Amino acid sequence: MKVIEIDNLKKTYSESEVEVHAVNGVTLDIEEGEFTAIVGPSGSGKTTLLNMIGGLDIPTSGEVIIGGSNMNHLNGSELTDFRKNNIGFVFQAYNLIPVLTAKENTEFVMKLQGKSKVECEKRSKELLESVGLGERINARPNKMSGGQQQRVAVARALASKPKFVLADEPTANLDSKSTETLLDIMEKLNKEENITFVFSTHDARVVKKARRVITLEDGKILSDVRKNGGE
Amino acid sequence: MIASISWKNVWRNKTRSAVVIVAVTLGTVAGVFVAGLMNGWVAQRINATIYTEMGHLKIQNPNFLVNEETQYSIKPIKDLTAYLDNAEEVDAYSKRSKIMAVAATARANTGIMLKGINVENEKQVSDVYTKLMPNAGTFFESKSRFPQVVISNKTAEMLRIKNYRISEKVMDSLKILEIPQDGMAKLESIANKRFITKKKFETAINETWTKSEIESYAPVLIKTAAYFQPRAKITFSFTRTNGEIGYQTFQVCGVFKTANTMFDQMSAFVKNEDLYAVAGLNANQFHEISIVTKSTDFKDIKAFQSKLSKAFPEQNFMTWKELAPDAGMLSDFMQIYYYIIMGIIFFALAFGIINTMLMAILERIKELGMLMAIGMKKLQVFAMIMLETVFLTLTGSFIGMLIGGVLISITSKTGLNFSSVEEGFEAIGWSAIVYPNIELSFFFGVTILVIIVAILSSIIPARKALKLKPIEALRIE
Ligand SMILES: Nc1ncnc2c1ncn2[C@@H]1O[C@H](COP(=O)(O)OP(=O)(O)O)[C@@H](O)[C@H]1O
Ligand SMILES: [Mg+2]
Repeated sequence: MKVIEIDNLKKTYSESEVEVHAVNGVTLDIEEGEFTAIVGPSGSGKTTLLNMIGGLDIPTSGEVIIGGSNMNHLNGSELTDFRKNNIGFVFQAYNLIPVLTAKENTEFVMKLQGKSKVECEKRSKELLESVGLGERINARPNKMSGGQQQRVAVARALASKPKFVLADEPTANLDSKSTETLLDIMEKLNKEENITFVFSTHDARVVKKARRVITLEDGKILSDVRKNGGE
Repeated sequence: MIASISWKNVWRNKTRSAVVIVAVTLGTVAGVFVAGLMNGWVAQRINATIYTEMGHLKIQNPNFLVNEETQYSIKPIKDLTAYLDNAEEVDAYSKRSKIMAVAATARANTGIMLKGINVENEKQVSDVYTKLMPNAGTFFESKSRFPQVVISNKTAEMLRIKNYRISEKVMDSLKILEIPQDGMAKLESIANKRFITKKKFETAINETWTKSEIESYAPVLIKTAAYFQPRAKITFSFTRTNGEIGYQTFQVCGVFKTANTMFDQMSAFVKNEDLYAVAGLNANQFHEISIVTKSTDFKDIKAFQSKLSKAFPEQNFMTWKELAPDAGMLSDFMQIYYYIIMGIIFFALAFGIINTMLMAILERIKELGMLMAIGMKKLQVFAMIMLETVFLTLTGSFIGMLIGGVLISITSKTGLNFSSVEEGFEAIGWSAIVYPNIELSFFFGVTILVIIVAILSSIIPARKALKLKPIEALRIE
């Protein structure tokens, strides 16, 4: 089943004298359960593409269809709701809420969704255990390492039961050991729970783990490779 | 959940929040205490108006209001008093005959209103009998061959019955007050001399004492050396009902002092039995009746007034608010002034609150962008910032109300002494010792006011947050 359908997507910045075609005609589909890396040199348009998929940025032309809904047809407030219910986000700089504990951070989106207290507690505990932080549920972000914070971010992204998880350079701020742990967890979640991940990276070790690698250059798809064992 | 994040955010930058909280606390303490002070003062003024000077309702012959002549007495007095005796609204009443008189001693004279009363009835409507000066007699409790009069301290001064003398006894009590030897020695030169006015006594002190001695000890000295001439006699002259001039000499039996110099200056009390005959009145002619009603609710007083007016259309009935419009107005409008004071204080504080919240937002832009990215709606972000402002401000104002409340409750027992400016206040009817007091509902009102101010203060910072676009906010390093 297709989770994401992208058709001739373009984003052009024309603030300066010269127009910048950050994303320049991308067409691709992402199937449920895929573990996709978007790679490419800095400035190739990875972030811009992910932001448009995530409904954070508006395309200049083309469309993004998620689970059958065309993102172009949603207004600001509808987009916010759409993100909340359909997309899990993991950011490069962890971006947890500093005043909340790991558990509270994980529950945050669920609470925005109006889930019951019991459900929030149960799911946040399960998720934190599955990212290996069962012992640290009451720790605040400033008491955790970068790797641990990013694992909380993954747990938070999953808490809302999204259709897929978007992660823009999730390992860029991590050392190699934490990078490996995080990817193992993401891989395990993908295999065991069939969670769809789309992440950008320029780290070769991360690329190796991906089962589909889409390479961007100057806002265009240079190659799109599915590795064996993917399907 | 949003509320809980807001509350936690308040304590994120502890120093910065503490500065705002302390400022709000101090502002609230000041506002609450000033309101309590004013309110206590007004309450005392109103209390004095009713329970010392006027009663709740006063009955007079309308002609007497225009022209205070003895002939204009209340009619028909028998029916009216019978009505009052049976009216369930009435707690007590006192009939007075009032005669404008010139009071004279050998040294001075002054105009005064002689009030002929029944002592027991008068005590039920007016607490003047509790306001007697120390060592200055009683309210008609001593026996005498002469008709007796109770006058005010002010009248005693004007008639020069109040004298000053540094007697042996005064010297002894001054020693207890720890006036230095040096100063005491200087006083010997003016000891045992009688000064018939305060001014003359002050002049004498000025000549004997140095400036610093005067500053520290003159008020006590004047207070201790003052005495009232025992058994002083005052002759009152007035116009009798038949137009002739009448005279009667009274012996001073007591001296009172209320917080209202104007009232004091105008009032001298005598037993009606000593007055009516010499004034050419009969025993049942009275010029005013002061009533204290059972209910102190002004609506009930008003209702009773109109009931009386219907029953006795020929007489004039006035409530205390009509008799003392200044006190009436205060009682009606003071609450609004307290809120205006609080409003001004919080208006000033709002600038600090806005500034603090703006700083809090600016350093949190990235986080706010993230919150909006993962699904927090603008309205929820707005609510979060607004609640944070409300919590921050309420914390300060709660502490402030607590401290202010405690201060009021302490001073409401001890009283606050403004006696350095006593004469100025008392000349216009205000007591120099104030017992602050405030109703509980005021704190409730202040809480509402604080919430409104906090909400208004949060609008500018919150708007700033709402203008953010998640991707732009997230891109900031
Ligand atoms: N807001 C913007 N305004 C102008 N140019 C932008 C903006 N965002 C990105 N770009 C440009 O678009 C191109 C793609 O950027 P980006 O998507 O961030 O690439 P990547 O994430 O692969 O490094 C770059 O040339 C970048 O300078
Ligand atoms: Mg990027």
